[in-house]
Amino acid sequence: MWLQATLLLLASCVPSSLAIYRDEVNHIDYHHALLGLPASQSTFFLKPSAASNASLLYTLSEKSLLGAVNPKDGSLVWRQNLSRSALPVAHPSAHGLLRASEGTNALVSALGDYVSSWSALDGKLIWENWFEGEAVADLELLELEDVSAAPATKDTVALFGGKAGVVRRLDGDSGKTKWEYLDESGDIPIQLSSSATEVFYVSLQPSARKGYRIKVVTLDPLTGRQTQQQILSSEGDVFSADSVLFVGANTASPIIVWADQSHKTLKVNVIGTKQVHAFDTDNSSGESISSITVHAPKKLESLPHFLVHYETESTTWAEVYHVDLTSALVSKAYELPRLQGWSVFSTSSKDANVYFTRITQSETTVVSSASHGVLGRWPHQAPPMEQALHSVSEVVAKGDTVAVRSAAALASGDWELIRNGQTEWTRYEALAGALAAAWVEEDAQEDLAHQLEVEGHESLYGAYMHRVKRHARDLQHLPEWLKGLPKRIFTSILTDEVSNLDGFGIVRPVIVATENGRVYALDAGKHGAVSWKVKAADTESWNVKAILTQPGSATIHADDGSSVTLDVSSGEILERTPGTTKIRSVAVAYGDTAPVTVGIKEDGAPLKSVDGQGFFVTLSDDGRVLGWAARDNQTPAWQFLPPPGEKIIHATARPSHDPVASIGKVLGNRSVLYKYLNPNLALITAVGESSATFYLLDAISGRILHTSTHQGVDPTQPISSAISENWFAYSFWADAVDSSSAKGYQLVISELYESPIPNDRGPLDSASNYSSITNLPLPHVISQAFMIPEPISHMAVTQTRQGITVRQLLCTLPSSNSIIGIPRPVLDPRRPIGRDPTTTEAEEGLFKYNPFLEFEGKWYHSHSRDVAGIKTVLSTPTLLESTSLIFAFGGDIFSTRVTPSQAFDVLGKGFSKLQLVMTIVALTAGVIILAPMVRRKQINAIWKASS
Amino acid sequence: MHLSVFSLGLFLVALLSTPALATSALTITIPPSNVLPNPNVLPAGTHATLTTLTTTENNQHILTAPLTRSATFLFHHLPASTKPESYLLDIRSPEYVFAPLRVDVAADGSLLGIWETFRGNPWDNRGAEKFVADTTTTTTTVASDVTVDAKVLARRGFYEERSKFSPMALFKNPMILMALVALGFTFGMPKLMENMDPEMRAEFEKQSRSSPISGATRSAMTGGGTPGNFDLAGWMAGATPRPAPGAEAATSGGVATGRESGGASRRRG
Repeated sequence: MWLQATLLLLASCVPSSLAIYRDEVNHIDYHHALLGLPASQSTFFLKPSAASNASLLYTLSEKSLLGAVNPKDGSLVWRQNLSRSALPVAHPSAHGLLRASEGTNALVSALGDYVSSWSALDGKLIWENWFEGEAVADLELLELEDVSAAPATKDTVALFGGKAGVVRRLDGDSGKTKWEYLDESGDIPIQLSSSATEVFYVSLQPSARKGYRIKVVTLDPLTGRQTQQQILSSEGDVFSADSVLFVGANTASPIIVWADQSHKTLKVNVIGTKQVHAFDTDNSSGESISSITVHAPKKLESLPHFLVHYETESTTWAEVYHVDLTSALVSKAYELPRLQGWSVFSTSSKDANVYFTRITQSETTVVSSASHGVLGRWPHQAPPMEQALHSVSEVVAKGDTVAVRSAAALASGDWELIRNGQTEWTRYEALAGALAAAWVEEDAQEDLAHQLEVEGHESLYGAYMHRVKRHARDLQHLPEWLKGLPKRIFTSILTDEVSNLDGFGIVRPVIVATENGRVYALDAGKHGAVSWKVKAADTESWNVKAILTQPGSATIHADDGSSVTLDVSSGEILERTPGTTKIRSVAVAYGDTAPVTVGIKEDGAPLKSVDGQGFFVTLSDDGRVLGWAARDNQTPAWQFLPPPGEKIIHATARPSHDPVASIGKVLGNRSVLYKYLNPNLALITAVGESSATFYLLDAISGRILHTSTHQGVDPTQPISSAISENWFAYSFWADAVDSSSAKGYQLVISELYESPIPNDRGPLDSASNYSSITNLPLPHVISQAFMIPEPISHMAVTQTRQGITVRQLLCTLPSSNSIIGIPRPVLDPRRPIGRDPTTTEAEEGLFKYNPFLEFEGKWYHSHSRDVAGIKTVLSTPTLLESTSLIFAFGGDIFSTRVTPSQAFDVLGKGFSKLQLVMTIVALTAGVIILAPMVRRKQINAIWKASS
Repeated sequence: MHLSVFSLGLFLVALLSTPALATSALTITIPPSNVLPNPNVLPAGTHATLTTLTTTENNQHILTAPLTRSATFLFHHLPASTKPESYLLDIRSPEYVFAPLRVDVAADGSLLGIWETFRGNPWDNRGAEKFVADTTTTTTTVASDVTVDAKVLARRGFYEERSKFSPMALFKNPMILMALVALGFTFGMPKLMENMDPEMRAEFEKQSRSSPISGATRSAMTGGGTPGNFDLAGWMAGATPRPAPGAEAATSGGVATGRESGGASRRRG
């Protein structure tokens, strides 16, 4: 009886839950909520509501993510993925647009055919509308002076390109079309502009000879009727839509600016007039002007001033122009000095005043649009700032002094806020394009490993002497260690963390390679802060295939066959190998010595042969699976072709580190089901038109070990799979194919055993060797399917050092932006169906099968974080058996550490050192009180017994 | 076969309602409930999806509706297709669990009906009806704007509560209680003994000397006797307790190894 009681007690000691504690948030995990690089025309500061004084920074990024960032600390307030709602755009180059107006609490965005309006404060939808077959070319918010429109909302005018140019006025509350103006002349629609009383539609009319004439159509904002039309003769200058530099937005006197091809003359037209003002560009340097940009305030009440920014290869300068409202005359007011190096300008306005902010690599300066006097100048801290692409600024004027904060998008893909010359925060938006990541292998242990190796190869005496010497050498660190000891004891009592786990591989840095050619190192100990970043490739589309780490360095392989080796502690580039052949993927062959990397060509053949044992399984572009012996890269050992009508979309194998703690599964009655442990398993996913087939192959012989086919599967929805130990899992969307089947996402788990009978090892029995080529026994497969509430876009399995800890199936949920870990005991295909488990089954931990698997909150590793856009989840073991590290990237960056069977080898935060000390004190006090009593009693006993 | 009959049925319904208004809008509202008293606290990422199988006829297999300012989801135009479609409506939120709905849409994009559905059940197994198109008046009046309520089922708890140190919990611990009782005996017994009259004390001592408990303890200390001879490792491995050497002859023919004998009999304390 007491034994059962002990068992019960033991069982109650093991906590059933594995969720994260609230105080561990931000301690064991970190998250970079990213947007992607902000687009230049769709980024601005805005006060979300008339009542609030603080403004937020809004952007629509190049990744079509719309977000609001708190300018104080750079944290993300909210974001929306516009590409989720937009219909697949015909031309993928379509860029998004974002407009807003102060005091309305509304943003209007457009992407392709999709126009939507969002609440500025919390990012919720106000309205959305689709215009099929058309693409939005420009958006403006109507700032009407008449009071016919409700003051709380502002209507939008949108220009649509496509077959014909269409201008529509969309209602500010519902997004419904109020009127539309159709331009069937075949002109190229460029932009819209509006003044307080009119809407201007600017298009390019092909001229008879060559070039384009600029056509301005004036529309009545209330009815959409054409009131006036003007054609500016620009055919000598304008040859494409890009030639028009600027169409003024919402100033009191909107302007059109263009330049001739050689950037020699600048031409300005005040919209509504016929007059074109020409200005010669003042280019005294020998270099030709590479670009001209125009910056003008966007508010209606601002002064009609604008700035023209000239750029040559090595210098930049700017000119400020004033527009006379009454005579519609444009005049040059003053010039900002020509400076070496890059500079970016931004406009900000306060009431009627307009300020121009110039950021160069060494300083930030603010000038008023009225005069050339510098209002504020702030030198930047060393080192010189990286090149910025564009910036937005907010200027606050107090008497004569001004304060400015600017958000600059840098060429490296970072987004930096500079307040009065000081960098306040940096958002590493380039990480949103992360393509590969790997944990760094530190070389601190390398020396010791080497020493131990030496000892292993020496004679007994020699090894002993070597060790004695090594330990004697280690003694020199003793005084230092002793000095640090009191501090260590004190800090360990005072700090949150009970034990310092740095030495157990818990805080390993991660290096990430992004598509813009940058490599970042994230420091896990500092909430994922970037410890270094380097530009490793001179390309904007660096297609990284793999990062392979060695102690102290990491090699990054790109798809053109090139590779870069970096020092992991400093980011210094150690070695570069140029690209040779385009590769599909990179395989690693672990030989007797150092691992060898082999590129895989697009037809699936390895680039070179490798000496020694081993094999590769590759996918080719034409949808075949090929098996190769490592030393022969000419002819594949086998190839696997799916049946006609099926296409291979994914292949996965057991992780390279996949230790198996037990070769069998002990059942409730103490018998054993032996696991089918084949290290050479490959799981191939093939899809048909509405079916999915999963093939389990032996990778040596190419034999099919198991096949399962599912009907009614949607191949366009995510189909993910993972394989580990003796089990594999996959998930897909399945539709109802007959009256008894269900509709929804499914997760199927299958386990492989050597034989269906316990204590039976099948035909191989306890043979120590087996051959994949002859007489490979087939596994006994047990499967169970679960309905799950959400799609799973990616699967991975937690890895621990010995594999003793229960594994978790890590699933990425793209629709709720979460990452969950489903414990394997829940996904046990031997769960009894339709009945309660017997006592022996209950002893195994099996419980009744339920076809619907609801994701419990405790499984959410990302807890309340919004971890969006994840494409890959990696897992790596640590020196602690209980703990596995997780790193997720692709959109956001998220990292955490998980303990699937509780942190059984670490003292957690719940362990109170103070309580322990108190208990010891109490016990000592008890002993001190009781000791004399006991002693007296013993003496008494002796005396009294003898008496 | 079932499917064809079913879809034929749907098709008939669709045929009946085709003259009606095409493309209707569907609005899902979230009423305040016990689990979610204020639906406006839902984060901006919350959205609703309508999902069905992608075929060559409908290339718009997933429709998405973001959360609006008034905590609703609005599907503007349900897509028209060549045949009626049956959609699964989900509301995606990491923190709140919503009940799924089944939305049937006719070929022209008008709504046929909305029912509750149960995950892990046959698709034809419909729950409570939320809306159904009025098929009796086939001519004109089909609601073009339909509003249904979403039901919040539960709220996911992401976090583990850390157990707080409290003296009461300490005293509820059986180990502490046992220690306290033992302490009480250590101090209390001599006092009790002293208060006893001499005759009773003599009798008590005599009794305690011959009591079975003390006898067992003594034998356990010397290493003999059954309870002290328990083979923990053997029990863990599933072996039957090894019989005493004397008894071996009597049972030799019976049980061969522990493995075949049942598990239940072994687990006696």
